[in-house]
Amino acid sequence: MSIQFHIRVRFNMVIDQEPARAPWRDPSQISTARSFVLMAAGVLIGLVLAGYSLFTARSATTLFVPAEDVALVNQQPVSRADYLALLQTLYGVDLRHATQEQRRKVLDDMIREELFVQRGKELDVAATDPDVRSALVNAVELEIAENAITSQPSEAALRQFYESHQDRYVSEGVMRVRDLVFPASELQELLTEPEALKRAIDDARTLARLNGRDSGKTKDEEFYFAAKIHLGDELFAAARDLGDGAVSKPMQLPDGVHVLDMLRNKRPVPFSFAAARAQVLSDYRNQSVDKLKSSGESFLRRRANVLIADDLR
Amino acid sequence: MRFLIVLIMASLLVAAVFAADSYAARRLLRADPDALPADPTLLRFAVRRGRPLFEARCAVCHGASGTGDPSMGIPNLTDDDWLYGTGRPAEIERVIDYGIRSRNPKAWSLAIMPAYARPQPNPADKNIQPLKPHEIDDVIEFLMRLQGRQAETAAAARGAGLFTGHGGCYDCHSLDAKGDSAIGAPNLSDAITLYGDGGREALHMSIAYGRQGVCPAWVNRASAASIRELALYVYSISHPGAIQHGY
Repeated sequence: MSIQFHIRVRFNMVIDQEPARAPWRDPSQISTARSFVLMAAGVLIGLVLAGYSLFTARSATTLFVPAEDVALVNQQPVSRADYLALLQTLYGVDLRHATQEQRRKVLDDMIREELFVQRGKELDVAATDPDVRSALVNAVELEIAENAITSQPSEAALRQFYESHQDRYVSEGVMRVRDLVFPASELQELLTEPEALKRAIDDARTLARLNGRDSGKTKDEEFYFAAKIHLGDELFAAARDLGDGAVSKPMQLPDGVHVLDMLRNKRPVPFSFAAARAQVLSDYRNQSVDKLKSSGESFLRRRANVLIADDLR
Repeated sequence: MRFLIVLIMASLLVAAVFAADSYAARRLLRADPDALPADPTLLRFAVRRGRPLFEARCAVCHGASGTGDPSMGIPNLTDDDWLYGTGRPAEIERVIDYGIRSRNPKAWSLAIMPAYARPQPNPADKNIQPLKPHEIDDVIEFLMRLQGRQAETAAAARGAGLFTGHGGCYDCHSLDAKGDSAIGAPNLSDAITLYGDGGREALHMSIAYGRQGVCPAWVNRASAASIRELALYVYSISHPGAIQHGY
């Protein structure tokens, strides 16, 4: 098999040569000097670019402080944004209005902090200091959860979450209830039809005759959670089911016979998706964060070599 | 040969543009962010580069125009009402860097709006007690009156007492209800509302069930230059004349 190359060669015939023009300046002539100069220039540009990239890359900066930082301490950057924030926190001034002394003090403080942090790493302070350990745990959790916090879930995902957790997105119920207490001896007298009982407790004279009194456990309208605390679980469970104007059956409790008189009961109402959206988003994110933390922990456990003492296995 | 010269010239031109951009980016980062609005050239440069970043990262919540959405409590970035800080570029940059309630240790997360209709209005602060239903209604009337809307006088007076009393509202929103931008507590006395239309229902949702909007932290997900460009873009949409006049 043979391969043929066809190269078109154009000859420029110089008829009236201009002797005054130096060969290296004439692009139509071959010039060894020009070739060397161009090659040297290419090498130089290449070296400059390579050097620039090498010495200014974020991970390998050795000579220049990157524009976003104010200092490099053993190659660790001290952020300009943190510097400005500290200047503002300590002196309440921005960079323009800070004095030279203020600037130097803040920078000195930050460099000192960085030096101590680096020394702390060398000494492995995290092995012994519970505050450092706790801060590290928080920081790693944050790093793991960052995707969930930063990403914006779709409306469809939020709506699905809302629909599968609808019990969370309801208003707090409100009730206004009278809790009347009677001596245990009056139980038989109170065991009547609800209408008759209602008439009896609404009449002050009958109430007095039966030695009934308002326990005072609830006053005004109360949210369900407050009514539950004030009435106790048993009475609240009975009260929750009563409609406006209804009375409960007499309930025998250790302190007497209780009758609940429901004046107003506004039951919990589910929020619409639009009304609950902010809360749904927050819950959705929290759930995603928990999931990520859990999978992050599983990953760490999987790759770790954990040996447990015999007596604790 | 001519082709080679054109190629070299084009390369030099690209390199020059790249170098100029790189130089401007470095100047942008080294400058005091609050001084940048006075430099129209740098501001224009930052805004040009910040706009696509805003569209990619912020528009999903704040909208492409940055006007937000009151139905979701997303603030309008184009007006001059600032929830956090006073709208200086450095303050905007800090919000973008560390976020709001983003779980970043440097985020603005000092205050949340407690849910006064829940047994524990603010799990982080056990001193805040729930309010009774009628007390919430009274506070709503007080706020309605404060905004110059029709309100029940007696209830509003009781609400004022709750606002500065055991409701504890003054603690964040200050005694005159003008808010505190150092902690992101909104001004309740003006017509600008963060959530909903400022009516009774929206106020009830805020007071009864709380609010705690979140803005993510970008410090670990975007370069310092991108964040500054973004901050200046946000500054520019809230100061429409900034680029032309340089302020």
